[in-house]
Amino acid sequence: MLYRTAGQFKTSYEADQALFPVKQDAFLLGIIMLFALVIFPLTASEFAFQTMLIPVMIYALAALGLNILTGFAGQLSLGTGAFMGVGAYACYKMVTLMPWMNPIVAILLSGFFSAGVGVMFGIPSLRIKGFYLAIATLAAQFFLVWLFEKWAWLYNYNASGAIQVPNLDIFGVYVTGPQADSMVQYYVVLGIVALMTMLCINLTRGTLGRTWKATRDMDIAAELIGINLMKSKLTAFAISSYIVGVAGALYVFMWKGAAEPNLFDIPLSFQVLFIAIIGGLGSVLGNYLGAILIVGLPVVLNLLPGALGLSISSAMVEHLNIMIVGSLIVFFLIVEPHGLNQLWRLIREKLIIWPFPH
Amino acid sequence: MKHFTKMAAAALIAGVTAGAAMAQELYAPNLAYRTGPFAATGIPLMNGQADYLTMLNARDGGVGGIPVNAEECETGYSTEKGVECYEKTKGKAIVTQPWSTGITLQVLPKTNVDMIPILAPGYGFSPMADGKVFQWAFNTPSGYWDAADMIIQYLSGQGDLKGKKIAFLHLDHPYGKEPLPLLEAKSGAMGFELVPIPVGLKEMQNQSAQWLQIRRERPDYVVMWGWGAMNAGAITEAVKTKFPMENMIGVWWSGHDADLAIVGDAGKGYKSISWSFPNADAPVMADIKKHVVDAGLSKSNETEMQGVFYSRGIVISAILAEGIAAAQAEYDTAEISAEQLRWGLENINMTEERIKELGLEGMVPPFATSCSNHTGHSGGWMLEWDGAQFVKVSDHLKPDTSGYAELINTKAAEYAEANAPWPTNDACEG
Repeated sequence: MLYRTAGQFKTSYEADQALFPVKQDAFLLGIIMLFALVIFPLTASEFAFQTMLIPVMIYALAALGLNILTGFAGQLSLGTGAFMGVGAYACYKMVTLMPWMNPIVAILLSGFFSAGVGVMFGIPSLRIKGFYLAIATLAAQFFLVWLFEKWAWLYNYNASGAIQVPNLDIFGVYVTGPQADSMVQYYVVLGIVALMTMLCINLTRGTLGRTWKATRDMDIAAELIGINLMKSKLTAFAISSYIVGVAGALYVFMWKGAAEPNLFDIPLSFQVLFIAIIGGLGSVLGNYLGAILIVGLPVVLNLLPGALGLSISSAMVEHLNIMIVGSLIVFFLIVEPHGLNQLWRLIREKLIIWPFPH
Repeated sequence: MKHFTKMAAAALIAGVTAGAAMAQELYAPNLAYRTGPFAATGIPLMNGQADYLTMLNARDGGVGGIPVNAEECETGYSTEKGVECYEKTKGKAIVTQPWSTGITLQVLPKTNVDMIPILAPGYGFSPMADGKVFQWAFNTPSGYWDAADMIIQYLSGQGDLKGKKIAFLHLDHPYGKEPLPLLEAKSGAMGFELVPIPVGLKEMQNQSAQWLQIRRERPDYVVMWGWGAMNAGAITEAVKTKFPMENMIGVWWSGHDADLAIVGDAGKGYKSISWSFPNADAPVMADIKKHVVDAGLSKSNETEMQGVFYSRGIVISAILAEGIAAAQAEYDTAEISAEQLRWGLENINMTEERIKELGLEGMVPPFATSCSNHTGHSGGWMLEWDGAQFVKVSDHLKPDTSGYAELINTKAAEYAEANAPWPTNDACEG
């Protein structure tokens, strides 16, 4: 009823090809944007910004980057964490070498470094496929984290080997570093993430996206119909790594404030991969749903006993949390093996034909 | 209706008194890690900390007559959870205890904005000793550079170090790298050869490559900066390769009883520098037994309570309680704020008499902090594993801080510059 599409006629190709051919979708997005732009910033506490709103968006962006590569182009990658690290270190070097640089520009530029590194490690994908490629990207993961540890120039010869985000401002408003206000950081993250998402939606709908999907579904067939596999795979690596790199720069500059090399180690890659898988490979919306489940939900669960007035020791809460989130992941994957995005698609489908299912 | 009004009034009064009772406490959260890969070392420390404060609350009604709420927030030693805990607790906390180098690194720059003192006893960034720059950070009673200095002092007491070779086995992590600048300076000044041997986070349990290198290099001494699984790994490897245990010295975090209990007698002679020592006969232990253990409020057990780490937890809480007491005396109020606690932590004076008064005899060396000295440089004792437990084998060792005061100042200044604008405490003299 709420989602009835009867009466929405498309009279031109433009209208038929629009991003939101169904009015209700656009309306729903409008509500979400209203929450993201106005209601959350007005009501959220520092805690909510720092533990839920900002990290969920950053993780969603990283998963989106990975999804371009793994979900759309079918190239399995286990090196996401390291590519995020490349973005973060590139951004750190840029702002420390050129302190006059606008931090947002630096963040957007840092993606190009990880894109370069990504393409370099993507070259083997022309010869190897599937799990074998996963191992090759795993090599990137190990090598890059090792490099972050050993190449002292990267962290400005700091004795502790860690990078610290300096206080940087745009027109007198601090954007990064401890002096920055959470709300400002939230808006910067929101702006960049929204921009990247728009870009990805359009890319995956266009020629490039179709090329990637063809490569994913059957590369030999794709090659036979005239798709240049090298171009397809390497653009996927480049664009995916660009987005992942920007996510990495945001991760350190807009959220963490400091980073040690082992932050970018394999657990981060796995976390992002899980978000992409649980959200749904080959989707854009799924990354957000996955990030909410994996990053946001544990925080909420941690608060629950306190809010209900139960006194459980915090170690116990942590154990329960791991169990609950773990079983939820299993549950969702059993209910819908194609991820949360597919679950939403089915719900929407059912809503559209309700109350007359055929 | 009348009944309902009564009920409502009663509920209101109960709510108000409960609210008032809630306010009557000092909220000193602890970012604990009882889960995760480092839980084995975390649990005794957390138990010691919690038990001491529970004992104070039961025996004296807290500090200055106001109970201390040392609520734990579980981090599992993960930076992400640590920041979550910090954000969750910072609203009403008077102190934050980050407990891991990673969390300290993230929280440290925020303290100037949030104005909450960080208490990082015996860990964290060594230049935090410079209280003028790091107004809000405290690594009392001793920092890593103190530890390295005391270890070198102790070794040179065993014979001239000139021409000797010292292997520095450390975790390849900010924590393990911390003493390197000092050890390098010492090696230049005293003429010994320093061989840094890093152990990656993934190699902690299997250090065969590192010990092969140690066998090849044949160092006279091995100095270890290990944590978690790395300690047990190194000690078992040392036993396996028959490295003379008496020539192996660890920092205080590498002196965990459980790690040595695995090798037992074979670990005899292993040493660890420490600013805390378990003294089962100290009055504080009897009080803890009476008020906490017998009341069933402790999570600890007999063996653990005799260990070095449990007693270190007690000392840490005692330092915090001293800071609170000092602030209460200065500001003449029981309910101190974070800002006031900062003053308190800057003015701790743990004299020999005060230690006795607190019932902590032999458990912590005397020290004093000031606004320019946030470490206190208490010094410590060299402990040695006798096959069943750690025993003191040295007198009270004191670090020679003059040797690296300059280093502390330059590193602190570098940090302030990298994090500009960074307000410093210019009012502080001396």
